[in-house]
Amino acid sequence: MDYYLNLINTIGIHTLLGLSAYILLLTGQLSLAQAGFFAVGAYTAAVLTVILGWAILPAIGLAMLITGLLAFLVGFPALRVRGLMLVVATLAFGEFVRMFFYNFRWRVIQDGVEVGPDGTMGFSEIRYFAEHGWTSWEVTSLIWVFVIMVMAIIWWADQTRSGAVLRAVGEDELAAGTVGIDVTVVKVAAMTAGGVIAGLAGSLYAHQITMLDHHAFTVLLATFAIAYPILGGVSNVFGTLVAVIFIQGLLVEGLRFLGDWRMLLFGALIIVVMNVKPRGLFDSQTLRWMKNVLRLRLSRRLS
Amino acid sequence: MDDFWFEFVEITQSIGDGFLFGSTYALIGIGFTLIFGAMGKLNVAYAATAMAGAYSSLAIYILFDASLVIIFIVSAICAAILGYLVYLACFRFIPVHNHLAALMASVGGLFFIDEVIVHATRGSPLNFPSMFSEAYFEVGPYGIRGDLLFVFFIGLISTGVLLYVLFRTRLGLATRAVAQQDVAARLCGMGIHSTNSTTFAVAGLLGGIAGAMTAAAVGILSPVMMLPLTIKGLIVTVIGGLGSIPGAIIAGLFVGSFENVVMYFRGIDERDMYVVALLFIFLVFRPNGLFGKTITRD
Amino acid sequence: MLEVKSLSKNFGGVKAVWKLDLAVNAGDIFGVIGPNGSGKSTLVNLISGVFPATAGEIHFQGHSLSNLSPHARVKAGVARTFQNIRLFPGLTVWQNLWVARNSTEDTRAEGISYRWFRKSGPVKNEIDDMLEFSGLADKGDELASNLAFGEQRRLELARAAATKPRLLLLDEPAAGMNQEEVRDLDKRIRQLRQQGMTIILIEHVMELVMGITDRIAVLNFGSKIAEGEPAAIRENKSVQEAYLGQSEGS
Repeated sequence: MDYYLNLINTIGIHTLLGLSAYILLLTGQLSLAQAGFFAVGAYTAAVLTVILGWAILPAIGLAMLITGLLAFLVGFPALRVRGLMLVVATLAFGEFVRMFFYNFRWRVIQDGVEVGPDGTMGFSEIRYFAEHGWTSWEVTSLIWVFVIMVMAIIWWADQTRSGAVLRAVGEDELAAGTVGIDVTVVKVAAMTAGGVIAGLAGSLYAHQITMLDHHAFTVLLATFAIAYPILGGVSNVFGTLVAVIFIQGLLVEGLRFLGDWRMLLFGALIIVVMNVKPRGLFDSQTLRWMKNVLRLRLSRRLS
Repeated sequence: MDDFWFEFVEITQSIGDGFLFGSTYALIGIGFTLIFGAMGKLNVAYAATAMAGAYSSLAIYILFDASLVIIFIVSAICAAILGYLVYLACFRFIPVHNHLAALMASVGGLFFIDEVIVHATRGSPLNFPSMFSEAYFEVGPYGIRGDLLFVFFIGLISTGVLLYVLFRTRLGLATRAVAQQDVAARLCGMGIHSTNSTTFAVAGLLGGIAGAMTAAAVGILSPVMMLPLTIKGLIVTVIGGLGSIPGAIIAGLFVGSFENVVMYFRGIDERDMYVVALLFIFLVFRPNGLFGKTITRD
Repeated sequence: MLEVKSLSKNFGGVKAVWKLDLAVNAGDIFGVIGPNGSGKSTLVNLISGVFPATAGEIHFQGHSLSNLSPHARVKAGVARTFQNIRLFPGLTVWQNLWVARNSTEDTRAEGISYRWFRKSGPVKNEIDDMLEFSGLADKGDELASNLAFGEQRRLELARAAATKPRLLLLDEPAAGMNQEEVRDLDKRIRQLRQQGMTIILIEHVMELVMGITDRIAVLNFGSKIAEGEPAAIRENKSVQEAYLGQSEGS
């Protein structure tokens, strides 16, 4: 049972990660920095609960705030680089964060035991849930309450003018400026929101997995983050969720028997999908096709 | 006073060694910039093909005890073939305007190549024959490593040949024409795909040489080198300016020197952080890099 | 209302616009014509802030526009359309108009929650009116990319008008239109002027320009070669030479 719960937890956390990249993708910013924000959220929340003894919710809250602030600061220089350059810059940022935590030590003695992040040795003993008697189901519920909340908020925002403005900026920045949209505000806001959500995902991750190692925050994670909304398409949030279930559920877990060859398959799969469906698995064409098929099935049922 | 002089010598020695090693970054940077200049796209898998070339040449060396020259030639050719395959898999069939999909596909290519190498070598580092490592020239208080000098020399020659091809041959002319106006080039009968695949192959040749150079200078080949090499190559390309070959050369040499000096002061663990920080400084103050062409086409 | 003084724009060695002087009065429909490459589109780009001028000044209602970003100019009351339509293809017709409601009047009136979140009654009515005005009343939920060419042109105009500008720059709005569409465009431009907008019309389609404008400026090679009322411009020899050509087409 725990095995399946772990998978469900991973899907939830990765959905949040994917959603953080999704918001940025809406505004046309392809960001490989989400893994970096994820790491910041993870380490911050863990330090708060382990070293400073905070409760879990305030710790998550502050971690989200700090990550959001960092994302806000990153948002401004990010404006100065377009398209591919932004990819390189965010890729570099993610690596910088990873290397930072690779060198980060803050050890304290608690109850005679040394705890805290230990540079290259990582950050283990993040035992908040165990120490406070959380069951596996409760942890899973906590994660998914957040996932559902975030999905609902983004979905709702998409129905409002904010959603349309975000997408307008993503479609044509120049035209958006000439109809009076302040592109700077929109893009920085998107970066900040993306950072907050990634920070949330990281905070949950740190406590669920109970140990942090810099190997978890590499380009691979950043690629996963951006792959989800690209695969799932930017029409709506459910695409991202489906993409996460597909990649994590099918590939990573379902093909466990392939062992080490999974990553090979992942690389090949990305290549194949990008060639066959360059606009993502759920682009507007596919969605229309799906709607038509459903309509046909329904009308057949009814007649 | 003696201490100061000693420090000074050590620092300039680092700069010098780094400068020589930086020629490998320069070549990788040129490769990235060639492809960007020709197609407006980034081939993230480029450094991976370069290293794969180095691995193939190592295999040849182990099997046949090949000589120096053969090693470099094999590396270049294998990387060129791989470069062409990457072009086919990740760029040829994706709609031209869709930069995103091509980028993601090349990321997939990077993972794929990385994994193949990890599997083939079971993840363990391998020794690469070092060349001229016994040679060591003393010039005053400085020592110039023969292997680094050799690597730098190869870099010089490769760049020279490349520039000759680009600016004095029809192939080079075609590449530059496609880079500047691909629709017009097509209307004039130039095959876009053949020109682009040739660009990838040429970049591949360069990369293979760079890969072998890096391996020769460091003495080891390991899959963990792939990602840092990719990132540094990208950083060099961006600092030099996307699409600019002189920029890539200067940036490569500069980054090589810079990182070596940083390593002298802060050790290897922190070294790469500073290289990334350098990128950010450039992005803030000179987002187009040193000689970047501002992309005006919509 | 709009004063352009000694405006110049160089692209590398090319002088797209060179020491241009223009003055447009409030409530006018002011035409700008000239052969291809005479700098008309560059002029629109300079006034709307797409790129900065190399030299010279642009004053709108007494204030200088230099250093203002495009969106700030919209807030000041200047809007424009694009020669090669730049709608938001993934958004619906309704959304294209909705995101364009950025005039200071709207920003103040609506307050944060209405502006960003809900389709309040008055907003809905206004947008529906605009759709009606553009003959797109039943296309509200259609994706902009699915519209026919003529419909897209009408939407482009409506979207610029949705920013409630004082000055509206139209960049070749009649390009590719048939006679009936041009007459419809003429009607709609007059209606916009009645609503209080001043309009600068860049055009090649002579029947539209001659019929609707109060004054016309003629550009060639980035400078003004003539200015005056339509009838005078028609007769002007240097204009004929530069533009209308030997065969009197119009």
